[in-house]
Amino acid sequence: MNSPEPVRAELATFLALVVFMVISLSLGVIANLVGRTKTGFLKSYFLGNRSLGAFAVALTAAVMSGGTFMGYPSLVYKFGWVVGLWICSYMVVPVTVLGVLGKRIGQLARRTGAITLPDFFRERFESPMLGLITSILVIFFLTANLVAQFKAGALILKLTLPQSVQRAVGSDTDGGSAIDRMAKVAEAAADEPTEKKAETKTTAAKPAAPADPTANTWRDRTYVLGLVIFAVTVIFYTAYGGFLAAIWTDVFQSLVMAVGVMILFPLALTAAGSISAGTAAGIAQTGDSSFAFGPGAGRAFHPVGLAVSFFVMWAISAMGQPSTLVRLMAFRDTRTLRWSIIYLTLYNLVIYIPLIFIFICARQILPNLTRSDEVMPRLVITLANPYIAGLILAAPFGAVMSTVSGWLLIISSGIVRDLYQRFVRPQASEKEIQRASYAGTVLVGVFVGLLALNPPEYLQLVVVFSSSGMAASFLAPAAYGAFWRRANGLGMIAAMVTGAGVTLALYAVGMVWARSGYDSGIGAGGSLAPVYLLGLDPCVWGIGSSFLAGAVVSLMTKPPRTELVERMFEKDRPLHLHA
Amino acid sequence: MPQSNPPPDDVDPVYLNSLKDARFGMTFWAIATTFVCGSAWLTGYQRSGHTLTTDDIRPILGIPYWFFLSVLVPWVACSVICVVYAGLIMSDDDLGTDHTEELEQEIREGTDVHELA
Repeated sequence: MNSPEPVRAELATFLALVVFMVISLSLGVIANLVGRTKTGFLKSYFLGNRSLGAFAVALTAAVMSGGTFMGYPSLVYKFGWVVGLWICSYMVVPVTVLGVLGKRIGQLARRTGAITLPDFFRERFESPMLGLITSILVIFFLTANLVAQFKAGALILKLTLPQSVQRAVGSDTDGGSAIDRMAKVAEAAADEPTEKKAETKTTAAKPAAPADPTANTWRDRTYVLGLVIFAVTVIFYTAYGGFLAAIWTDVFQSLVMAVGVMILFPLALTAAGSISAGTAAGIAQTGDSSFAFGPGAGRAFHPVGLAVSFFVMWAISAMGQPSTLVRLMAFRDTRTLRWSIIYLTLYNLVIYIPLIFIFICARQILPNLTRSDEVMPRLVITLANPYIAGLILAAPFGAVMSTVSGWLLIISSGIVRDLYQRFVRPQASEKEIQRASYAGTVLVGVFVGLLALNPPEYLQLVVVFSSSGMAASFLAPAAYGAFWRRANGLGMIAAMVTGAGVTLALYAVGMVWARSGYDSGIGAGGSLAPVYLLGLDPCVWGIGSSFLAGAVVSLMTKPPRTELVERMFEKDRPLHLHA
Repeated sequence: MPQSNPPPDDVDPVYLNSLKDARFGMTFWAIATTFVCGSAWLTGYQRSGHTLTTDDIRPILGIPYWFFLSVLVPWVACSVICVVYAGLIMSDDDLGTDHTEELEQEIREGTDVHELA
């Protein structure tokens, strides 16, 4: 069905994407001008000169991604009210993610002079090996994720490019009706591997589509065109604008999403008649009263063990993500930190709860969708003005861009600071470091773009487990570094390796079992489902084992130097780092 | 001994305040997790011997009773607590001097050297 509304919404979405890209490029230029300082290029370029304000910290440290914005509604539509329980640990996220480690990480980053995560661990524990392992893990995890992000960005552009452009490059996506193509845009955004693997689980549940081996590879010219446009845009504004450009783009897309939810809520409520009507429709359509209860309609989507796990996943593991820790090193002062907690609390409250109501109502407005992934674009197009719909649907694309730019910088900072400056050219001048930083960001972007032309199959495994893997690797060292005097470098190396290893093992075994046809019956299922040992998510086991290994190995090995401990835990004093 | 506690006068007040924030945050998380998951399991989960039907929805403003009690009310309560804690209780601290330049200089001079691990 090619009704005029979807066609207009499709055009509007394309225009909105163009607007997003133009705004992002402009933000890159402005950020470059604002970020120019007479001293400390690296601190300015990779950390925004430690001057992040409350709004920026709140809306970028722990707020929804494009995947959340698209994947979460799909889950609500499919499984019902229990998905509210799935997400509701966001009620404590502001205090855990920003409050538990925030002040201390901010202080230690200043005290050690660290501007990257490997810098931080290396200086805090006086362990170059720990810094090197951190660099390798960060580069490994984030590069794999970036490939998938580039692919999602390219796919969104491929699907929204006007037909005339597609014909001009000699191909046509021909994805069916306009609304079907819009749904694929949403799917591409939801496929974006956020730092929260739960969204990836959503996609894992999808039935495998008949695969065209040339689709979305270098042989697919429209895909390549989308990839080039996406890569050039994001690499340029990131390389030129640095950390501030990434942050500002993130803030912009978060605000657009918030406005979108606020517009949709009254429209959905009015169209459905009431929330109860949505619940009743959901029960009737699924034939399962569990649409109104746990563990969810159709299958045990969210048993209580997973409910507990997700309180760990969202509220605890987010503390250990590199992107979060870097932001905690970059906020201006503690007043900023306090206000960012307040802003984030209010943001979560007015976004996530209305989203539940909206997509329960969607059961009444759009009954019996065969693919729940389509619910967001279909509802937006049904309820909103086409140009507002376009902007709302383009917001996840902005989320992909901002996520890419943030990760690009983390990787290039790791290469420039932790490898090039530390090991190759310690005497490099400020100008040389500046050139290396620009070049590093561009080269990483180009390398990832090339990988995205035909991503290796094993990357999917890395992407799926990387969120839990990163939390299991970095949370324990960050927490021990902040609060435990006895923690040492060897203990933290053990914590990192054990956490990543346990998480990877649970995913790898789960995938092997899934390939042999085994389904535990819990979670969203699919071929990428991990082992839920004792009904708990791997993140619980990964983080738990990481803390245990860190404590045991620290206690079994030599204590840290007295001078180091004093410097980290006593009042600030003049720097005599390595007496 | 590095692990022994130094005299109170030397202990960094930012560290102490951060420890207080961390204790609060983790306790807050533990209570929220226990209450939300516990009450949801007791009032809103299908389980053997506890089959729920449409009569058990008992909607409040269209929202199932269990969801209202176990998710909505705690979410609003936690939001109030977060705002009060961050706005009124959490202290402002001086994060100290930023030693970025010194570290930069040490790297250039090759004095930023530690044992391997």
